[in-house]
Amino acid sequence: MSRYIFRRLLQLIPLLIGITLITFFVMHLAPGDPTALFTDPNIKPEELARIRVNWGLDKPVGIQYLIWLKNAARLDFGYSYISGKPVIEEIGERLPNTLLLMSVSFIIILLISIPVGVISAVKKGSWFDNLFTIISFIFMSIPTFWLALVFMLLFSLKLGWVPSFGDLSLPVAVLVISGLAGITRYQRASMLEVLNQEYIKVARAKGLPEIIVIFKHALRNALIPIITLMGLSIPDLFGGAFIIETIFAWPGMGRLGVSAVFSRNYPVIMGVTVMTAVLIVLANLIADLGYALVDPRIRYAKKE
Amino acid sequence: MRKKNKFAVFGLVVITAFCVLSIAAPIIAPYDPGEIMESEIQGPSLRHPFGTDDLGRDILSRVLYGGRISLSVAVIAVAVALTIGVLLGAVAGYYGGLLDEMIMRFTDIMLSFPTIFLILAIQSVLTPNIVNVMVVIGATSWMGIARLVRGEFLTVKERDFVEAARAIGCGNFRIIFKHILPNSMGPVIVSGTLGMAGAILTESALSFLGLGVQPPVPSWGNMLMDSQAYLIDAPWMAVIPGVFIVLAVLSLYFIGEGLRERLNPKE
Amino acid sequence: MIRILFKTFFITIIAAGLVFAIDYNQNGRLNLSLGGEISVINPILSTDTTSSAIEGVIFSGLVKVDKNLDFVPDMARSWKVSKNGLVWTFYLKRGIKWHDGAQLTAEDVKFTFDTIMNPKVNSVRRGDYFIDGKPIVFKVIDKYTLRAILPKPFSPFIASAGMSIIPKHILQGKELDMTFFSRHPIGAGPFKFVEYKTGDHVLVTRNDDYYGGRPMLKEIMFRIIPDENTSLIALKSGEIDESGIPAKDFHPIKGVGLYKYDALLYTYLGFNLKSPKFADTRVRQALSYAVNRKQLIGLIFRGFASPAYSPSAPVSWAYSDDVHKYLYDPDKAKQLLSEAGVRDLSFTLLINHGNKEREKAATILQQQFKKIGVKMDIRVLEWSALLKVINARKDPKDYDAVLIGWSTGVDPDSYSIWHSSQYPGGLNFIGYKNPKIDKLLDAGRREQTKSSRKKIYAEMYKEITADAPYIFLWYPQVLTGVNNRVGGLSEPGPAGLMIDMEKIYIKREVK
Repeated sequence: MSRYIFRRLLQLIPLLIGITLITFFVMHLAPGDPTALFTDPNIKPEELARIRVNWGLDKPVGIQYLIWLKNAARLDFGYSYISGKPVIEEIGERLPNTLLLMSVSFIIILLISIPVGVISAVKKGSWFDNLFTIISFIFMSIPTFWLALVFMLLFSLKLGWVPSFGDLSLPVAVLVISGLAGITRYQRASMLEVLNQEYIKVARAKGLPEIIVIFKHALRNALIPIITLMGLSIPDLFGGAFIIETIFAWPGMGRLGVSAVFSRNYPVIMGVTVMTAVLIVLANLIADLGYALVDPRIRYAKKE
Repeated sequence: MRKKNKFAVFGLVVITAFCVLSIAAPIIAPYDPGEIMESEIQGPSLRHPFGTDDLGRDILSRVLYGGRISLSVAVIAVAVALTIGVLLGAVAGYYGGLLDEMIMRFTDIMLSFPTIFLILAIQSVLTPNIVNVMVVIGATSWMGIARLVRGEFLTVKERDFVEAARAIGCGNFRIIFKHILPNSMGPVIVSGTLGMAGAILTESALSFLGLGVQPPVPSWGNMLMDSQAYLIDAPWMAVIPGVFIVLAVLSLYFIGEGLRERLNPKE
Repeated sequence: MIRILFKTFFITIIAAGLVFAIDYNQNGRLNLSLGGEISVINPILSTDTTSSAIEGVIFSGLVKVDKNLDFVPDMARSWKVSKNGLVWTFYLKRGIKWHDGAQLTAEDVKFTFDTIMNPKVNSVRRGDYFIDGKPIVFKVIDKYTLRAILPKPFSPFIASAGMSIIPKHILQGKELDMTFFSRHPIGAGPFKFVEYKTGDHVLVTRNDDYYGGRPMLKEIMFRIIPDENTSLIALKSGEIDESGIPAKDFHPIKGVGLYKYDALLYTYLGFNLKSPKFADTRVRQALSYAVNRKQLIGLIFRGFASPAYSPSAPVSWAYSDDVHKYLYDPDKAKQLLSEAGVRDLSFTLLINHGNKEREKAATILQQQFKKIGVKMDIRVLEWSALLKVINARKDPKDYDAVLIGWSTGVDPDSYSIWHSSQYPGGLNFIGYKNPKIDKLLDAGRREQTKSSRKKIYAEMYKEITADAPYIFLWYPQVLTGVNNRVGGLSEPGPAGLMIDMEKIYIKREVK
């Protein structure tokens, strides 16, 4: 098992190099550069040119990337062009906020989607199923940022129930609603597939009560693809978090990344990219391991 | 008649209506979408059924022209994604081996990127306009299609009719395009339809951030961007384009689901 | 009898003192909002208004501006300029202490300027201390006297002399990016730094030893609220005491005083004078006549801005109203175009991404020019990309026209904008060349008295507007709301409402 984990972690490295290479070169195709931070048009161009040299931006892009890579290997991600603070510190201050936002949303999504999906599958075709199907589709069609605006309008501005910044409730509500639909439907489809299997029919034929059939046999197997789906939807959850954090002024890593992109704060952009990629790969790894735990067949197969 | 089909029909009707409205926009729009007609924001009235925006322009006209943009971006973006995805997936699935490894690795890398972040990065580097929005969305959403096509090719390529085609001397290209591909079109079409729904959402998110279609050309997304400051004072500016987006995306989802069921009768 | 009078007088004085002493809240906290993230709390490195708002209460300079934008003593009790204008001597107040207790001397002042002028330090202000490429030399004469020796007479130097001073005993020999310092800045201003929670707030507390007198506020809380709607809500609910107000929301608010004043900025459309499209003055004048400023200001600002016709803002002492104004006249515009033999003129306007007002202005201008038969396309560029285009050291540059603004600065000298030598490398990116203006600009810098400079600049503005190198568009107004519990505000003016933070106080609650 540990060999497997180690192998997967090793695969991280070429993945990270690929991602960072693409990001670095894409950012440097920019017609502008970090002197975007200096928004005062009264600043003389010679000053900007001098600062550019101080930051090493006059070297060819390839060399700049190799320099960055060398430092990154020693976990030195440089200093933010805006605040001068080490990138690691900037990310370290904000990452917990993003993780908080995402985990809370995640948990709530699971708490809602699993029961709803299961019940929808078990009671396929009923009013419950149809109602939630329509609701799911509608939720999937709403642009996240629009939902965010409408919520902000309703719950903060008009009703005043919730402060519009610094508070978790609205960002979580938006993330949950946008993420709920897909997972619920997937859970339903997976449960349906399992319910059609032979061994379920056998269990029923044996005379086992329906509840036992569902919980002991069907559910466990229906959950398997969900774990994979969760792993796969992590990148989207991050992406959603980026926009939500910006709209609700939530001090997370997503907002840091977005503003770094707009101001060409290269060290921070690279840091956020690496961190996000690592988290995504780790999430996938955990999903795979969880998968193996839930399904003993996989575990044995790996041992061979 | 199964309930699902009703939804798909609803979707088809709405999308067709939208397409017709968009194409006919220059004829049916009451005013020029860019014309500054009033000196302040106005709510819905006889003169302006959907009200005006903060620059005094008629929202009904803008939303019609905006539809042209948003829908055409969706179509072309998906076309781009399909082209890349089908090509890569077919090559990987058919030839296998090192080529397959490399292509799948690349696909994995792209999948590990939070797409929004990548699109943001690219768009902030280029000068955003309609063309690069289409290309960028297409270039970041082909991965699912590639995997799908590859999967199809892997299962199909050892089948009898392929062997037969090879036996009579068909070149690889012919086999790929004339024999295997047409059989795998089902899932690809479903993907494409759902992809269009996603593309509309992505374009509107990009335009909302200012990285998509640039004003003053109206798109549903950038109309939402303009509406932000006026949420309380002029909610119609935000509600109308939002409703159009939701309807369009919902319809495409219904159609996609309907197609999925007709092409993969499993249930 | 006298005794009784004396006693009464005495008691009255004491009573008055007591009344005043308990008239304001000794432990008052002022809550302000910041519109964006702080870059770094270091006056020589930061360039954004958010950071400078905080630096303004933590640090002090030799001089500062008063509500009329005149320069008055701050840490320097006086200064004098030699007859030939080359030697400026500043006399520091004695007994000024840094927040850590150390004495502030002329050594700190020299250290500050030398650091800015160090090419390895990323300070954009460096260019302000070089005149025609030659550096200003700073000398410490004694503990409380500093001398600046200029290579040429240069009256605008007074503005750069107001730079906030940083402590030598802490920063000498340290890392040039000074990150440790911006996490715990030490200044000599009325308030001391307490804490900075990233993305959330900055807290500062009263400096009891402030040389300008003990501040009346106990502490100031700066909250980061990037969205202006959110900020307005926080103002209405009392969470913060001061906020900018969008034009559309500028009507009476309970418990809040509304203030508006002109800002030291103007927005304009600049023509690339080296482009054949705009070579003919009549074309530029025609386009100037085609602009309906009333419609622009009405739609964008709901009327809270003033139309601009000259390269100087009315709040500046050098402002002159005697200039060529191109008042809205579309017929005259069309006439001028046909006189110049121009038909089907089309050009591209560059604007920077993210500025809502300029985007709206570009859209409106597009429609206004359409009415006289001119087609204008709008091209949006990322700010740094736009700067790259207009600052490129080539001739001619790759643009037709640009919509942008200038902050006019406290000193009216605009050498870098209008002097022919400042093209293509300086701020004169439109390529304006007028020998008469060059002479006037040089004279304006040389002259030391306000009255003589004012005459020079008035003549200059008249001449420039005749050439119509820019279409001057508007001077924005700052719209602010301040909670009525805050006292000590300055008269509304371009220097803001809280010029002397040590004089601001929170009123006692009336029970």
